[in-house]
Amino acid sequence: MPPGRCDRCENPATVHLTEIKGGHKSERHLCEKCAASLHVPTASKELAKLLKSFEPAMALATQGSAAPGLTCPECGMTYAEFRQSGRFGCARDYEVFAEQVGKLLHKIHGGTRYAGKRPGGGAVKPPPSRDELLRARAQLDQAVRAENYEEAARLRDQIRRLNEEPGGGPAP
Amino acid sequence: MTPPRDPLPPLAELWMLKDGADQDVVVSSRMRLARNVQGFRFRARFRPDEAERLERHLRGALKAARPELQYASLKDLTSAQRDVLFERHMVSAEHVQEGHARGVGFSADGAVSVMVNEEDHLRLQVFAPGLDLPRVDAEVNTLDDRLAALVPFSYSDTWGYLTSCPTNTGTGLRVSVMLHLPALSFRPEAKGGQGEPGIVKVSKAAQKLGLTVRGTHGESSRAEGDFYQVSNQVTLGRSPEQALSDLAAMLTQVVDYERNSRAILVKEDKTRLEDVVWRAWATLRHARRMSSREALAHLSALRLGTCLQLIDTVSLRTLHTLMVAMQPGHLQQAAGRELRPQERDVVRAQLIRDTLGAA
Repeated sequence: MPPGRCDRCENPATVHLTEIKGGHKSERHLCEKCAASLHVPTASKELAKLLKSFEPAMALATQGSAAPGLTCPECGMTYAEFRQSGRFGCARDYEVFAEQVGKLLHKIHGGTRYAGKRPGGGAVKPPPSRDELLRARAQLDQAVRAENYEEAARLRDQIRRLNEEPGGGPAP
Repeated sequence: MTPPRDPLPPLAELWMLKDGADQDVVVSSRMRLARNVQGFRFRARFRPDEAERLERHLRGALKAARPELQYASLKDLTSAQRDVLFERHMVSAEHVQEGHARGVGFSADGAVSVMVNEEDHLRLQVFAPGLDLPRVDAEVNTLDDRLAALVPFSYSDTWGYLTSCPTNTGTGLRVSVMLHLPALSFRPEAKGGQGEPGIVKVSKAAQKLGLTVRGTHGESSRAEGDFYQVSNQVTLGRSPEQALSDLAAMLTQVVDYERNSRAILVKEDKTRLEDVVWRAWATLRHARRMSSREALAHLSALRLGTCLQLIDTVSLRTLHTLMVAMQPGHLQQAAGRELRPQERDVVRAQLIRDTLGAA
C-alpha cells in the first residue's frame, strides 16, 4: 500500500539503506540506477558476496574437478558468471553446476531435500520434522517411566516410521 | 500514447478495500508461486525475441486456464498505469522498470495477478483481505495446477521447481501477511527509554522460525506507517504445509501481542493516544500540502484509532482507499497527466481533504 520512491529520482525504490552512526539512525531509499551511481551494495551484490564467501570451501570440495570453468551448453552461462549475478541462465544450469548448486542451496535453505507438490499432481513427502521426532522420544521416555508399555510400543513404532521416511522419495 | 480504454480495474472494486478476518492487525494475506517453462531460458539469458515468444505463449496459456483474467502487456501501458499496478502490489518494482517483453494477467478485483517474464517466467499471486491463508493457498494452487496441465514447468524431484534465483528453488513459494503493528512499533519512551520496541522482538522470533519481517513492498523495502510484511524464507527442505503452519503459529502470537500492547497503551494513557489520533485527523482534514510519507503516518494513526474505537469519523474502507489513491501513480492517473512531486503533494492534500470531508 505505502509507496516506495527513490529519494533522488521518481523511479520505484528497490534499495533501502539504514545507517546507524553514533546512535543516530538514518534511512535512504534509492532505485537500482541511483544506487549503482552511488556505489551502494545491492541485494544482488550481497548474494554475489555470499556466493563468493564460500568459494574457498567450494574450491576445496571440487579440487581436481573443473568447477570454475564449467559452462552450460544450453545457455552459455559460466559458473563464474552465475556466481557474479546470483541468477541462473536456464534450468539446465542446475545439472551443469549440480555439485556447487547443492552446497549453495544447503547454505541458503538449511536443507536440500525437496518437499512439495509435483507439476503433474502427486507430492514429494516432507522429511520427518525434528520436532516430531523429539516429541515422540520424550513421550516414549515418559511412557517407559510410567510403565505404560502398550503406549511405549506404539511410540516406538511411530519413531521407527518417522526415521524410515526418507522424505525425498517419490510419493506412492 | 494513452490506450483508448483504461485496462486497470476500478479502485472501488479492489480486494484490499473489503473486510477480512482479524483486520485490526492483519491487513492482507498473500501467496505467490514462482514457475518457469521448459524449453525457454531464464531472463538473464533470453535469446533475442525469446521474451516476446514466451509472453505470447504464456498469455495464451493464461487465457485457457482462467478465461476471466484480463491481460496487459507492460509496453501498452503508460508510465502512470504501470505505477498504479505497482502501488496495488500487482507487479513488482523490477517488473515496472525492465525493458523486455512482459505483462500481467489479473482478476477484476486485482486479487489474482500473474506476472509474465518477471525474474521467473511466471509469478502467480493471490491476495485476500485480512487473515485468510487457506483461501489464498487453495486459489493459487488451483491456478498453478491448471497452468501445469497446459505448460510443462521446469522441475526436478531432487530440487523441486527450478527458479532463476536460488533463494526460490524448491517450492517457489512465498507466503506472506501484511501486518499493521503501531503499538509494537511504539518506542517505550515513557520509562526512561529502556527496553526495545515489540517489533524488534517479533523480528528476532521470526528469524528463528525461518521467517522474515520486511517493509510493505517485500524484498528489502522499508516499513512505512507501521506496516510490516512477514513471510517465509525457506523454499527447500520444508514443505508448503510446514511453511504455512509456521507462519500461522507465529501470526497468532503476533496478533495477540499487538492487541495486548494496544490495550496497555489505552490503559496507561488513553488521552495521549486520543490526542495522537485526533491530531492526525485534524492535520489530514486541513493540510494544504502533504508528502505520501506524512500522509501514511497520519492514516496509520487513524487506522489504529478506528480499530480501538477512539474515533468514529472514518471507516477502514475509506482509510484503505486513501492509502492506495494518494500514491504518485494513482494521483497522476486521476489527473490524466504527469505531476511534479511538489504538485503531487498539493493534489494529495486536496484528495485527502475531499475524501475525509465527505466521509
